[in-house]
Amino acid sequence: MTFKDKLPVSYLLFTTRGRINRLTYWVAALFIWSTFYVLYNLLNAAFTPAATFIIYPLLFWALFATAAKRLHDTNKSAWWLACLLVPVAGPLWLVWLLGFRKGTIYPNRFGTVPGAAADYYKNDTGALIPHLKTEERLINDVTQLNPVLVAQIVVPQTVEELQQMVRTATRPLSVGGGRFSMGGQTASPQSIHIDMRALNKVLAFSAEQKTITVQAGARWCDIQHYIDPHGLSIKIMQTYANFTVGGALSVNCHGRYIGLGPLILSVRSLNVLLANGDIIQVSPTEKSEIFYACVGCYNAIAIIVNVTLDLEDNIAVKRQQVKMKGHAYKPYFFENVRENKDVIFHNGDIYPPFYKNIRAVSWVRTDEKPTEKTRLMPLAAAYPLERYFMGAFSKNHFGKWRREFIIDPLLYKFKKVHYRNYEAGYDVMELEPASRRQSTYVLQEYFVPVQKFDAFLALMSEIFIRHNVNVINVSIRHAKADSGSLLAWAREEVFAFVVYYKQNTDDAEKGRVAVWTRELIDAALSLDGAYYLPYQPHATSEQFHRAYPRAKELFTLKKELDPTGKFRNVIWDTYYK
Amino acid sequence: MSIFFFKRQLSTIAAGKGLVIPKEWLVTNKNPVTPAKDVRPADQTFLTFPEWFLVFSPEEQANYFKQHTATTFPYMRHTSQIWKSYRIVNKQIKGNFPTNWGYHFMIWVIGVSTTVEYTAKSLYENIVGRLTDTGQPATAEDQFNAKYTQDYVAFIKDLPWYQFDFKSRLKDLWKNTSLSGPHFFRKWERRYMLTTELAVKFIYGKLIGIGTKQVYEVALLNTAVVLDDDSLHYLPRYDKFAAAALELAQQGHSFKEIAGNNSAILLTVWVPADHKTDFANAQTVFIQPITSYPTMKRVAIATPVSALSGVLLELKKAGVQVEHVFDF
Repeated sequence: MTFKDKLPVSYLLFTTRGRINRLTYWVAALFIWSTFYVLYNLLNAAFTPAATFIIYPLLFWALFATAAKRLHDTNKSAWWLACLLVPVAGPLWLVWLLGFRKGTIYPNRFGTVPGAAADYYKNDTGALIPHLKTEERLINDVTQLNPVLVAQIVVPQTVEELQQMVRTATRPLSVGGGRFSMGGQTASPQSIHIDMRALNKVLAFSAEQKTITVQAGARWCDIQHYIDPHGLSIKIMQTYANFTVGGALSVNCHGRYIGLGPLILSVRSLNVLLANGDIIQVSPTEKSEIFYACVGCYNAIAIIVNVTLDLEDNIAVKRQQVKMKGHAYKPYFFENVRENKDVIFHNGDIYPPFYKNIRAVSWVRTDEKPTEKTRLMPLAAAYPLERYFMGAFSKNHFGKWRREFIIDPLLYKFKKVHYRNYEAGYDVMELEPASRRQSTYVLQEYFVPVQKFDAFLALMSEIFIRHNVNVINVSIRHAKADSGSLLAWAREEVFAFVVYYKQNTDDAEKGRVAVWTRELIDAALSLDGAYYLPYQPHATSEQFHRAYPRAKELFTLKKELDPTGKFRNVIWDTYYK
Repeated sequence: MSIFFFKRQLSTIAAGKGLVIPKEWLVTNKNPVTPAKDVRPADQTFLTFPEWFLVFSPEEQANYFKQHTATTFPYMRHTSQIWKSYRIVNKQIKGNFPTNWGYHFMIWVIGVSTTVEYTAKSLYENIVGRLTDTGQPATAEDQFNAKYTQDYVAFIKDLPWYQFDFKSRLKDLWKNTSLSGPHFFRKWERRYMLTTELAVKFIYGKLIGIGTKQVYEVALLNTAVVLDDDSLHYLPRYDKFAAAALELAQQGHSFKEIAGNNSAILLTVWVPADHKTDFANAQTVFIQPITSYPTMKRVAIATPVSALSGVLLELKKAGVQVEHVFDF
């Protein structure tokens, strides 16, 4: 912990290192002057005017320290304060510089941008249980709802080390990366947990061919930083860039890209490590039966070691939005979005608690100048506004009404133009509540064939309303059919319904959630749809097999390639018999 | 220290709530004998007080700086005196005369500028000035300040402040004021302070000069008076008016009109701090303690134009010093 975090006020008032922004400077100045005013008068009243002199050194030091940090923010050394000695022009120039000039938007020689986080939010490296003498650790995911006690955590530094571990393992293995799945997909009780995050190198990159090969522990944000200078962008990924590539491949995630679909569609080839310790290269054309049992298959038969992905041009995109009734969305999508080559990202937001209105948001190709100064999304150390909104929306119906009719209309008033990489660079941190102890935010997702959109919207709303589910948002995505993953969630062209809701963390509430979750799964299944697996395993075995009819093929393959059941996690513990 | 909250005494004391002058003294002269070009609005006698305070205030400073440095001067009390006196005189004229927007605007401009200047000086003197203060004017720079303020006061009694030659004073400060001498820090701190003041006033004065030319006509430098024998006379305006008026009074004349007005006229006098402030044929409007000269106080009194000569003679007899007669 740095001094800055331990004693933030002392850091602000009495040290000269680092940077502060304009707002902090003004607030600090207000604090310094009002404190001086009060102390001055107290000393003057209690003692003599001369007694007030003792606070002058403090005053001058605090003024100097805050001014120095503000100058740093504009990439100037504190020596510029000497300008004060030039009558009239010096003080005026400094007032402008300190009080009004924006800081540099990138890290400079004095430090990072004030209020910016150094990196994307990361999950811990496994929690230690106090007084425990073994190597057991608790592996949890971002929701903190699914703690799993594992025997040991290992962090392989090289592929050889990983290979050796798999060969010699005497216990089951569970594999984790960013750990942003929400149902124990990265752990199994008493297994050895392999933390893949150290295997994060870029192995090959070709700007001409628009491909990149990375190790599975690399995060999407790491790739973005690597390819952004070359004017390239990731072809398919999810909205949040914190995830590791290996994790995203294992769940076969999707984003908001139009004309694309599951992540598998952008994968050229994989290197995977089998249970016997062999590493083989697989692709849609090379050992395709293994390839389709790896992407989207939750580490059933192999660990993904590295991957070659397609890239796209990093173009500027502009936000467009329109609000409509629920039944108008599908025709709107088919007429304006589906075949529109200029639409890069698209999603629809269904407004709870009545699920009647949808705001369709598209990001379209543009030649306009970006409204953001940075090419990549800057990271904030805290997201107080986002957090407040999330809290307000989840509180009651009035909060949800405020969002639909006041806050969103305001937010969408502003013109937004930025790069594709920027729009794909969200940090999960913006969703993090202050505490997940009493209640927590959880995701679920359902897929239905595109023609069944209205039917599912009706079924889903009815279930949410009947069970009084505290839904914060339902986001609609579109995906083309999967190319063949054995656990494909898009067996044909589908709409996805991403449900973000709030639940309490007690057992009664967990049971309640399980009930309506199974109802929603049945609703999706009745329309030939599916539910998504990275979340809590509330589905029954029968529901699982109805949603994923080719799971049996995968199980057969697992029996053959992983006969001892080395690779384990919640899915295999729950559904693999 | 006056910016801070322990008030030792009020800066301006009204003689009563709201309107204190008899209403019959506040009637516009419908048919003046005075030529139209020499007639000025009747409420201007009151509105010129805040304006003239900006002469009285530097005058007090010039006196104060003979014995003290600028660092301990009560700038914020003077700021308060501007606005309080403005408020009080405003209550006397409100509703009795048509509102003189141009004059009010001018008072706001000079009031705000002076408030900014005095606040900045007060803050600076309390935060930086007092660290180098010598109590008495010990440095060549503090003495320069006393001399410059004195000259400035003499100048603005007859001419607009913005015509003062700040530029040559700035040159004078750097060319003719000794750089050597004791109190090294005080010398340089004052040099910095005076350079800032003179430079800012030079620039601001130029701007105001341009602005004034655009908005206001050139002010007349004399005041037309009609005596009891219906003769028209031209007396010098502003500072020298009081002496000229007293002279006519001593010759046995009284006034029928001053600048076309026969309503109330305002004058200020200095009396000892314990004076009871009641004057025959005149109404006290407000009292201001002289902050840099605590044994005296300023009293603003109003009397009808027709009674002015009597009041002046009475004051002369009582040995009371007339500071200013506000000749509209």
